[in-house]
Amino acid sequence: MAEIIVCTGRGGTGKSTFVALAATYLRPPLLLIDLDPDESLADMLGFDLYQHGISTISDKLYYILEASKGGAQDPSVALDNMASIIEKECLYKGNNEIDLISLGTKLTKGCYCTPDDILKNVIPKMIENYCNVVIDSPAGLEHLNRKVVSELDDFFVILDPSSKSLQHIGRIRDITSELKITYRNFYLVANYGFNEENQTYFESSGETFLGKIEFDSQVAEYNLSGQSLLKLPEDSPASLSVKEILRKTNISTFSL
Amino acid sequence: MGKKLVATGRGGTGKTTFTALASRFLPPPIFLIDLDPDQSLAEMLGVNLKNEGVKTVSATLFDIIAARKDGSGGTMSVHDRIEFLLNSESLYEGDNFDLFVLGTKLTEGCYCAPDAIISGAIPKVIDSYRYVMIDSPAGLEHLNREVVSDIDDLFVILDPSSKSLKHIERIKNITSAIGIQYNHFYLVGNYRFNKVAQQKLEASGETYLGNIEYDPELANYNLSGRSLLELPDDSPACLSVKEILTRAGLLS
Repeated sequence: MAEIIVCTGRGGTGKSTFVALAATYLRPPLLLIDLDPDESLADMLGFDLYQHGISTISDKLYYILEASKGGAQDPSVALDNMASIIEKECLYKGNNEIDLISLGTKLTKGCYCTPDDILKNVIPKMIENYCNVVIDSPAGLEHLNRKVVSELDDFFVILDPSSKSLQHIGRIRDITSELKITYRNFYLVANYGFNEENQTYFESSGETFLGKIEFDSQVAEYNLSGQSLLKLPEDSPASLSVKEILRKTNISTFSL
Repeated sequence: MGKKLVATGRGGTGKTTFTALASRFLPPPIFLIDLDPDQSLAEMLGVNLKNEGVKTVSATLFDIIAARKDGSGGTMSVHDRIEFLLNSESLYEGDNFDLFVLGTKLTEGCYCAPDAIISGAIPKVIDSYRYVMIDSPAGLEHLNREVVSDIDDLFVILDPSSKSLKHIERIKNITSAIGIQYNHFYLVGNYRFNKVAQQKLEASGETYLGNIEYDPELANYNLSGRSLLELPDDSPACLSVKEILTRAGLLS
């Protein structure tokens, strides 16, 4: 049974950066799920889904619904078979057994409940094949209310140095307890903006604080030029700090 | 008829900071709407909703549904009840601005319902204000919900990454596919922009209004939870937001 890891936090704190950097260390086969409609994770890993003919969940759903207009095709048939459709058409198979599924941007009116629901149903079927599954959440809290996964192993909250982050932690606790989303471990991770004083502030929050993703000018450059974070040297400050953070958990990694 | 301004962008770029600082310079009366379930705008404006006895829109909606379930809702139609409660319980009336906060919901499901309530409320109040400014949640989903469909000025607050350029493209695609219209599409760089990043934006062909300047004082205010309304008028962040609003023609 795969370890289910969810990475969440306020916007711009570094959720996708953390997931992209952790991908190098987590024991494969590894499945990454990008739940953010703004779909940056694939870009940050240098995975070109389009070039490989891989659809996002939102795109696939759109085509299924379009095909059903006029009654040519019954959408329920396709929707019943979403697991195998996703495996064939939406699963990007990367090198080193790192696979990725991207929710993708939708261009029709309404919320992301339907594509999220599809993932919710498909995830239990797909995770059997993986050692680790990491979900990179969209910014904010709404994805929690949708309960895409309800039983998870490790919950990482990536924080920026503001009092808003403390309130954010409180809201996550409230929502997960009301909705009965369970997790074994609840971890706090600080982003590059933290200084000593901020760290002490969060260490005193009573939560498990695993450390800080170090500031790394190379990560900033890679992000501006759109280069894959998988190519970041292993001894760069950001990589080393993510390695150190993972070492403090029981998640199955390459020997660190 | 008030002008509708929307601040949007990827997470953590500074949408709420921009909105909070803009509220200091826009000519009143102003109506601010915090559409983010993580509700930081009120805090950044130094408004403590709890102390003020103001409920979030999500909380008011929860009460309405609960009242329907136990039959204590009275004879008023749900529609009228929503309008009544929104104005009596969820409207914060300040000296320089009024405020609605979407708020965190603790029940399963998305924010379509509270968003729809806010969407329905805007046309009713727009005539009483000179500006209605919406602070969006991070990301794109709020656009798909079409809380407002005719925007005057859409401000996209950007961080210096290639993801921001793609984000701009996605906003354009979604708004055009859904039929959200705007008179102006403005780019604003955040405090982390440098010359190189700025040139990239200028080359995008969009109207780039400038950067929100880095301001160490502002970082301190955010850490301690202090109101941005207390930031000195001549602080770098304030001056740059004022300059941006001037370029957008909103301060004349």
